[in-house]
Amino acid sequence: MTSHLFRLELRLLVRERAAWVLLGLFAAALGYGLWNGGRVAGRQREAAAALAQDTEAFQAQVRQHLGQQAIDPKAIAGRGTMAVLPPAPLPLLATGQSDLSPGHETVVLWRFAASGDTRSELENPSHLLAGRFDLAFVLVWLFPLFLLALVYDLMAGDRESGTLRLALAQGVTPWRWMILRALARALPMLMLAALGTLAAGFFGGSGGTGLRLMLALAVVLAYGLFWVALAIAVNAVARSAASAATSLGAAWVLLVLVAPTLLNVTVETLYPTPSRPELVAAGRKASGEAEKRGGELLNSFYRDHPELAPPGQQADFAAQHLTVQTEVGRAVEPVRQKFDEQLARQQTAVGQWRFLSPAIAMHEALTDLAGTGYWRHRAFRDQVTAFKKSVADFYTPKIHKRETITMADYEKMPRFVFREEPSGAWMNRASAGLGGMLAFAFVLAGLAMVNLRPARLGSMTA
Amino acid sequence: MIAAIARKEFLDAWRDGRFRIAAVVTLALLGVALLLAWQQVTRARAERAAAAALERENWLNQGEKNSHSAGHYGVYVFTPLAPLAVFDRGLEPFVGTTVFLEAHRQNQAAFLPAQDATAMRRFGELTAATGLQLLVPLLIVLLTFGALAGERERGTLRQVLSLGVRPRDLVLGKALGLGAALAALLLPVALFGAVALSKLPGGDVSGGWVRLAWLGGAYALYLAAILAGCLAVSAVASTARAALATLLVCWAANAVIAPRLASDFAQRLLPTPKLVDFETAMNKAVQEGLDGHNPRNDRLQAFAQETLKKNGKTRIEELPFNFNGLVMLESERMAGEVFDHHFGKLWDRLEAQDRTVTWTGLVAPLLGLRSASMALAGTDFTQHRHFSVAAEQHRRNFVRVLNEEMMNNTAGGHHGGTAGRALWEKLPAFRYDPPPPAHALRAATPGLVVLCLWAVGAWTALLLVAPRLKPN
Repeated sequence: MTSHLFRLELRLLVRERAAWVLLGLFAAALGYGLWNGGRVAGRQREAAAALAQDTEAFQAQVRQHLGQQAIDPKAIAGRGTMAVLPPAPLPLLATGQSDLSPGHETVVLWRFAASGDTRSELENPSHLLAGRFDLAFVLVWLFPLFLLALVYDLMAGDRESGTLRLALAQGVTPWRWMILRALARALPMLMLAALGTLAAGFFGGSGGTGLRLMLALAVVLAYGLFWVALAIAVNAVARSAASAATSLGAAWVLLVLVAPTLLNVTVETLYPTPSRPELVAAGRKASGEAEKRGGELLNSFYRDHPELAPPGQQADFAAQHLTVQTEVGRAVEPVRQKFDEQLARQQTAVGQWRFLSPAIAMHEALTDLAGTGYWRHRAFRDQVTAFKKSVADFYTPKIHKRETITMADYEKMPRFVFREEPSGAWMNRASAGLGGMLAFAFVLAGLAMVNLRPARLGSMTA
Repeated sequence: MIAAIARKEFLDAWRDGRFRIAAVVTLALLGVALLLAWQQVTRARAERAAAAALERENWLNQGEKNSHSAGHYGVYVFTPLAPLAVFDRGLEPFVGTTVFLEAHRQNQAAFLPAQDATAMRRFGELTAATGLQLLVPLLIVLLTFGALAGERERGTLRQVLSLGVRPRDLVLGKALGLGAALAALLLPVALFGAVALSKLPGGDVSGGWVRLAWLGGAYALYLAAILAGCLAVSAVASTARAALATLLVCWAANAVIAPRLASDFAQRLLPTPKLVDFETAMNKAVQEGLDGHNPRNDRLQAFAQETLKKNGKTRIEELPFNFNGLVMLESERMAGEVFDHHFGKLWDRLEAQDRTVTWTGLVAPLLGLRSASMALAGTDFTQHRHFSVAAEQHRRNFVRVLNEEMMNNTAGGHHGGTAGRALWEKLPAFRYDPPPPAHALRAATPGLVVLCLWAVGAWTALLLVAPRLKPN
């Protein structure tokens, strides 16, 4: 009986011309989203590759030079070492914040505190404001719309036209009948979304991303099921198809359009970002003060580190400059850290409140799994901070002691290698989002079941 | 007749529970958005003013140093925040807040507020402007989809028409009644908002009222066009359900899909250069001249010869001033030409992209409104450019004064002697005058034209379908 009804519903769907149009449009949107995301990812891959190549060329140059003679550490430390974030594991899934967060940083020994341009690409600000037509956009915003267009009328229309009694005369419980209908009608759309997600891994994923892709697939399907469950719950109580459509439309507006912006504005009000202009001005003030005390700073540094003081020589300009900059870095660091801390607080709040709307949970999970969200960029920033320290630890003593860099040091020279987050970290975050969406779906389906118990149904089939 | 129908529709709308709930939700969101934006903008303005004051202190207290070192020490200036950003943040989160003015280089504004925010911001911003742009049209859809199609479905349309009511009167009456219901909801909010906004610190300087009046006009055009369009669909749709489906699809296409598609389209039509290419071309032009055939060294050699001839000397050491200072002045002048050319080209390109998006507004009215709204609020790209040009002007003046000092201060060696607070004070603090409302209006014109076309088109369509109203 069950499979018979399921097949019947599928056959009815196949005969609907509107359904084919919707599926075709959705497929086109998925294709365009993938292609568009691919272009952005391609540009970013090229930029990262060019930077990595630059770094390698410089290394080769240094090596060649060292073969002939030793190098002054100031020359290398002053040019700086490039830290590059490699391309994201699944960039086609979501462009995320990758067009805003810088993907590289030049670590220069005496410029720890200075704050240069943070952009890595020229972008029209209106383009950033509008957002990108990538796969995440299609899946988070459009997928539910297309899905609801197919499943908004699961029972309300039959109730309106009086065919509900006829349908239920087949000896199936209303709840089961509606679930079957919903799944049959949603199936093609869910399959398309799943295919689109898999294509993101197939065309744009780097090796070893299978697990990420599978989780993304599960998240996408759970998101779809949530909207199907919502349609079921609404249909269990709606008196007409039009009112079911209005309620579902309103739910989409509230969950996809309003909730995330409301969360954003709340989070930014609760944990306001410190002021960049103030950081810049404060950094300059600290720098000016440190410079005025330059000689004094260096003397106290040598008192603390007598092993680094040049024997019987006058301290040179480089050593003094370095001490001043280290002091500036120390003075500014707490202010700079406030940015990271406040952003982390905002992100924690978003993580906690993402269950306010499955659209938020879905967006967070997709950008997280794609590697274009907050977490991977944060891992990059943290690793760059650690890298700065190893650069300082390597070059500072050499500069103070006026040692040179020789071939023996070549292998020991700090180089930046990005380590991806342990897979457990993103798995936990994405699974929590996944669990939340599924829980919502079950609650909604359960609500529908309660409302469809025969005792309550009597009045509604009339 | 029209008045009677309008009154009936007006009352109907207000008695409709769904409309009341949706209206309350929309108004609450508008209120929350305005309040929070108010707080954020006021805070950001205060922060930037404090930072500017501190930076001025830094500049004055930088101590005794060579004037060219002071040029490298440089000055930071901070982008202003238009008071009407409370209403429409526009591009503000996506343009840099800080510009470093230093010798030899023109820098772009760095540190975008959006870089210090979570990905939630990419869902769009909750401002009074987005509420009016996205949510109020939905309210209109809710209000109008059944206005004619529903009556047709219920059979009341046939009855009304059989009474001898002219179809055009009926449609116009409905449009006026529903429009009045909407106006009754929004006008008090608009007036309250306008009075509140004009009370903002700095709100009156840049022609606040002129901007507000035009903003009101732009939104009225947009909403009127949508009201007429929705009624026209309801007039031709066979059932209320079909009208609702059509209108929701149109709404989603206009509000959700169009902005991204249009922006992509503009990027494809007029691509933004890559940062690497832009910088390479600019550095090359600084070295080799704009035409690429005139190396910097040759030009400076020629300049030296010319200077010697003008002063009747044969050796640079004989000149009565520090020749290096003069060279600095000249090379800044040459670099300035290159910067004007390259940044001008880049900014022209970005403005052309924005204009393309505005004109795609002929397909989706939101794009026209968005552009007009940002321009009038003072948060669009043309106004960011206006600021960037002013900042660059300030940079050139300040570098020029320092180089002149270097030229005339012949005490020291190669770079001249040192200078102190007296010279630093001679350089005025950066003071930015935002562009007048006329500038905003010019920038808003394409968007306003698009909106006018939409309003005229939609009302014409409504008047055209009205006489052919089918009773069933």
